[in-house]
Parts: sequence; C-alpha cells; structure tokens
Amino acid sequence: MKKLTWRDDLRPVPFLIAFFVAYVLFTVYPIFKGMQMSLFNWTLIEQQDFVGLAHYANLLKDPNFWEAFGNTTLFVVLSTPTMVILALVLALMANLNTKLKTFFRGSFFLPSILSVSVISFVAIFMLQPYTGVVNNILQAFGLDKEPFWLATPSLAWVSIIAVTLWWTVGFNMILYLTALQGIPDELYEAAEVDGATRQQMFWRITLPQLLPISRLIFLLQILASFKVFAQILLITDGGPGTSTRPIILYIYEMGFERYDLGYAAAMSYLLFMVLLVLSVIQLRLGGKEGRLL
Amino acid sequence: MSQTRLENKRDPFRPVKVAVAFISALLFLFPIIWMFFVSLKPEGTAASSPLDWFAPPYTIGNYVDIILGSDVFLWIWNSFIVGFLTTVLTLLLTSMAAFAFSKMRFRYRKALYLFFLAGLMVPGEAMIIPLYEIIGSMGLLDTYAGLILPGIAAPLGVIILKSFFDGVPNELIESAKLDGCNDFRLYWNVVLPLGKSAVAAVGILTFIGSWNNFLWPFLAIISESLYTLPVGIPMFNSNYSETYILPMTVNAIASIPVIIAFLVFEKQIVKGVSFSGIKG
Repeated sequence: MKKLTWRDDLRPVPFLIAFFVAYVLFTVYPIFKGMQMSLFNWTLIEQQDFVGLAHYANLLKDPNFWEAFGNTTLFVVLSTPTMVILALVLALMANLNTKLKTFFRGSFFLPSILSVSVISFVAIFMLQPYTGVVNNILQAFGLDKEPFWLATPSLAWVSIIAVTLWWTVGFNMILYLTALQGIPDELYEAAEVDGATRQQMFWRITLPQLLPISRLIFLLQILASFKVFAQILLITDGGPGTSTRPIILYIYEMGFERYDLGYAAAMSYLLFMVLLVLSVIQLRLGGKEGRLL
Repeated sequence: MSQTRLENKRDPFRPVKVAVAFISALLFLFPIIWMFFVSLKPEGTAASSPLDWFAPPYTIGNYVDIILGSDVFLWIWNSFIVGFLTTVLTLLLTSMAAFAFSKMRFRYRKALYLFFLAGLMVPGEAMIIPLYEIIGSMGLLDTYAGLILPGIAAPLGVIILKSFFDGVPNELIESAKLDGCNDFRLYWNVVLPLGKSAVAAVGILTFIGSWNNFLWPFLAIISESLYTLPVGIPMFNSNYSETYILPMTVNAIASIPVIIAFLVFEKQIVKGVSFSGIKG
C-alpha cells in the first residue's frame, strides 16, 4: 500500500462536507448548547442568568421530576417484556407456512406506519365509557362494570401500553421474522433425522438461534420505551392528574408551557445521560448484529 | 424459504395455530376497520357497537364535508413536501458520505466514521430544547427548512449504505477508473445504481419517519398553513368535543395514502426495518 498523500486526504472532502456540516450543526452542537442552557435561567425572551448547577440541584428535589421518571420507568418495565414476547409470538404466526402468511404479516405491521395522531384518536374513542367499542364488547361478554379506561390511573396505564403494543409491536415482529427466516434449514433437517419432536426443535434450535436478535430487540425496545411521549400526550395528556406523565412530557411542559428552558434543558440532560448509558450497553451487549464495527 | 421442513412435518395443532393467527390479525385490523366504518356513518348515528357497523345508513357526506371544509389536503401536502425533501436530502448526504467511507482511503477515516457513528447514541427526543433554541436563532422556526434540516444528518443511513457499498467489487471501481471515471461519476453511475435496493429501503424508512414525525413539527410549527398531518389532526380534533364522526373521517383520509403506500412498497418497508434493526 502506498503512503497516503494530501491528495488522498482531499478526495473525500466533497462527499463528506455536507453531511459533516449538518451532523455537527444538528446532532453535535445541540449537546453542547443543551449543557450551556442547563446552567442558565433561560427563558423564551432571552433573559439569561448564569445559575451554575442550581437547576440540577432543584431537579433532584423536584417530586414532579421523580414522579415523571418513575412513570417512564414503569412504562419501560411493563412494556418491554410484552413487546419482545408478543413480537416473537406474532412472528411465529406470520411464519406459519400458509397462504395467509402475507396477510398475517401485513396486519401485524400495518398499525406501525399509521400516524400516532390517528392511532391515539381511534384509541380514545374505542376506550371511552358508555359508547366505546371496547366496553360494549366487554359487556357483550358479560362484564357488568363500566370501566373508565382513561380516567383511572391503573387502567390508563393498561390502555397506553395496549395502544403502544398495537401500534409498534409490528416493528419488532419484522426483526424476528427476518431472523426466523435466516435459520438454516439443515439444522431442522438434521434434528428430524435424529427423531426430534417439534417441541424439541423449537426449544433446542429456534429459540437459541433467536437469542442474539432477542437481545438486540430487548435493548432497542428499552431505549425506545424510555422516549415515550406522543401517544401519552394525545391519549391522557399525562392524566388522570399527573399519573401517566412521562419525562419528555414534563420537559415539554417546563420548556414550552412554563417557558423555563434552562430547567427543561437540565432535565433533558439527565435523560440524555440515561439514554447514553443504555445506548452504550446496547452497543456492547447487542451481539454480533448489534455491534456496529 | 426457511422452516419449510419443519412446517411440512405433520403438525396436529396447525389448524389451531392458523386460526389463532387469523383472529390475532383481525384484532390488529379491528380499530382500523372501525375507523373506516365510523367515517362512513352520518353524523348522529350510532357506531359504538360492532353491530352498528353493518346496519345502514352510510354516507360519503363526511368525506365531502372534510374535503371542502378542512385543511386536510394542505396538511397532506405539507407532510409530503417535508417528507420528500427530507428523504432526498438524507439520501444524498448519507450516500455520498457512505461512498467516501466505503471506496476511499484517507487519513483519520476510521476516527471520522466513529465520530459519525456516535450520533446513533444521541436521542433526538432529549435534544429538543437546545434544538429549538438553535433553529430559533437561525430564524428557521415555523419554516419548511426548520422542519427538514434537523432530520437530514442521520448516521444510520451512512452505516446501512456503507455496508452495501462495501459489497460493490473493487475490481469494478478500478476498471471504471481506468475508463476515466471521476469520483463523482463513480459514485453516481456505478456505486449508487448497484446499491439501489438499500437506497430505496433507507429512503422509504426516512420518508415514513418524516411523514409520521410528531414531536418536532409539534414544537417547530406555529402557523396553521404549515401544519403537517400529525400536528393538524389533533388540532382539528380538539375543535370537536361532542362528536367524533367528522374527526374520524379526517383520520381515515389521513390513513388512506399510507395504507396504499404500504400495500405498494411492503417489500421495501420490510427490508428497511430489517436493516435498521440489525445495524442499529
């Protein structure tokens, strides 16, 4: 290999410069800008007083922040395992060797590409008491009570998780389906020669072969769930009270309803740190498929 | 097709599994079907129980009302323009960068690639406050540019496209060079056409992402004339507290292009999802 000259170094410049500028401006610079803002009393009318770490100190004492953090964590803990397990079950169904498999795959995935605004609106009216489809169907099956899905904290959580599941599980299902189709046939043929039953094949071949992708889906899902926002804003607006308010909604309220951008930036920064740690874990533990280099 | 051996082996539970899958598929489609039935019901009629669905009256009057009396086509147009420009710019920027990383040798290549890769770990959702400030100080809040620019430097695209371009044989590059191809023609006429399936997949995922993006347009748009679909719908809905039939018609109209696009591009969408999961 010949030594690289300055000519070699200049060659990629026209190809990289535009991406580089956009990347620095809209991905790297916000990190530093956010850090700066979090150290100031920063309002929308550009009044900026340096307050050092006061926002962070206040945050740690802010019960609303801890509630929002707890809500987000609760959502992550409840939604992640269901998102992964249900995705696997759906992928197994969509991989059944029938003429309907395209229909299955399409049906499970279709909600994922609809707008969160549509999904949320449909959910609100399906779940409303007295005239909602869900309660009507439950009563047809003999339920006497009239559940107030969105007005009871625990049921509001159930509703949000169910809607999120319906809306996004198709994405994970596709990842599982791709992995399922990548399992070499020979493994099953060899097992069949050895007289393995179908159950044995599932537990001894399919599941272990899916382990790396499962790990990746699990980690991607934790990251995604930590960023929950739009469907909660649109379905419950954090309510009843503040019982379903996640961190990003609290950041939004602080920044854009109370115009305390400095405090909101400090909160964003804490969220950023949490997500960064999770990303690093994902890159380290994501297995061969998840590792990027 | 994998697993055919496994499937072909006689499975006594197969009919049960297919039936369960069928019911699950209907459950997933149920709310969408419900939305379309409601949108066809005259104002003031019942649509709350599934039995009502199959009982007349039906009307397309809601569609006429919405098309004439709301800005739904403006929102669709805005979403389309923003999505289209975001996609074109993203594809251009990421594929050029991927080409440089894949087919050129230069100093600090690995360091620069790692620098871009690190962007995967920056969650946009946690950066909205500084991004709002930056776009604001550039005077781009409430403009198309302000909606489009923050999304175009997506490292995931560089990674996916680079791994595809790596598969283009270097002998091909060398022989094109001998024929007098410059770098730009090498990129545009040789490498890009060979990676077109990956480019299509990244493009479609980028478009869907932009089309459905809620948080950033929600913050960055003030003028109603710039509303994108995901922002326009909730604003429209909040004007109706009594009835949900007209808002449901808006939702149905908003979903029709997406559903058609899904039926047309299903293969590329699935491919895009597989790439994005496996690589990131």
